[in-house]
Amino acid sequence: MRSIILIVVACIIAAAAGYGFYRYAHEGTVAAEPLPAGLQLSGLDGKPHGFEEWRGKLLLVNFWATWCTPCLHEIPELVKLQKQYAARGLQIVGPAVDDPDAVRSMLGPLGINYPVLSGTPDSMIDIMEKLGNGPGGLPFSILVSPDGLILDRQLGEFTPAQLVKLIESHLPPAAAQ
Amino acid sequence: MKNAALCMAIGAALLTGTAAADGFWPKKDGAAAGASHELLKADQAFQLLAAEREGNSLKVSWEIAPGYYLYRKRIAFLALAPEGARLDTPELPRGEPIQDEHEGKTEIYRGSLKADLHWPQGAAAPQRLRVSYQGCAEAGVCYPPQSRTIDVIDLSH
Repeated sequence: MRSIILIVVACIIAAAAGYGFYRYAHEGTVAAEPLPAGLQLSGLDGKPHGFEEWRGKLLLVNFWATWCTPCLHEIPELVKLQKQYAARGLQIVGPAVDDPDAVRSMLGPLGINYPVLSGTPDSMIDIMEKLGNGPGGLPFSILVSPDGLILDRQLGEFTPAQLVKLIESHLPPAAAQ
Repeated sequence: MKNAALCMAIGAALLTGTAAADGFWPKKDGAAAGASHELLKADQAFQLLAAEREGNSLKVSWEIAPGYYLYRKRIAFLALAPEGARLDTPELPRGEPIQDEHEGKTEIYRGSLKADLHWPQGAAAPQRLRVSYQGCAEAGVCYPPQSRTIDVIDLSH
């Protein structure tokens, strides 16, 4: 009887240890993978742009559109963060799945203080799919390390607290600047 | 013998614990960082079923998945064939009124949707349509405007 109790107790401890070890080993880690090469977007002036232009910065790419209410809701927070964290190396870029004229008309009202790109829905859906957005919805964001690794992805809005936590966790401490 | 059983049981328990953790732990890689692993693609969320003509009326129907909606004002139709085919203003049912933060007061559709189309007297009955629509998931994700070409099924014959 004692040996059965011993086995049961040992099993419970072992299962908890297995669970705990897995959690410990995976906590806080994200499968960082390189940004696919050769992704081309267009500026509102029609000039081609690649994400490589922002190498060396912590890059937050936020796909949005003027017809996307959750996107428009999220942008004021991004504007605030671009201002707050620019000196520490954050660069936000906003590719719009939209018509350039529609995008231009919203830049002033939204006060966007970071580069905005644009592209047809088909080309943007293709790019987003390569970046891991299977459903093709918006808003969609990726966080890219200064050396070009995708650190995080988010389909749907970030909460302000999530954004701050995410950015702070990948920028050097303010005192280190 | 007892020791072997004990070792095997502990080993199995360790594996069970790890597997349980794997199942419970939210995946951060792939496209599943936010709600994406639960979201449908646009064609699954907004299934454009058919365009059926019966007499002088043409009905276009959708099946909208639970948790998704289409904007009434973003639904549009264009007759592509035969040449010269035209459509009158589509008859869409009254939608569910919502107050959208950026769209203002607007209407949406959930569930089954049927649009009723007619064409001007003397004009040819449309045989092929371009159907445009746009919608969102209640989870806070919107899909780019969709545009599909669809052949009209004539039920009159």
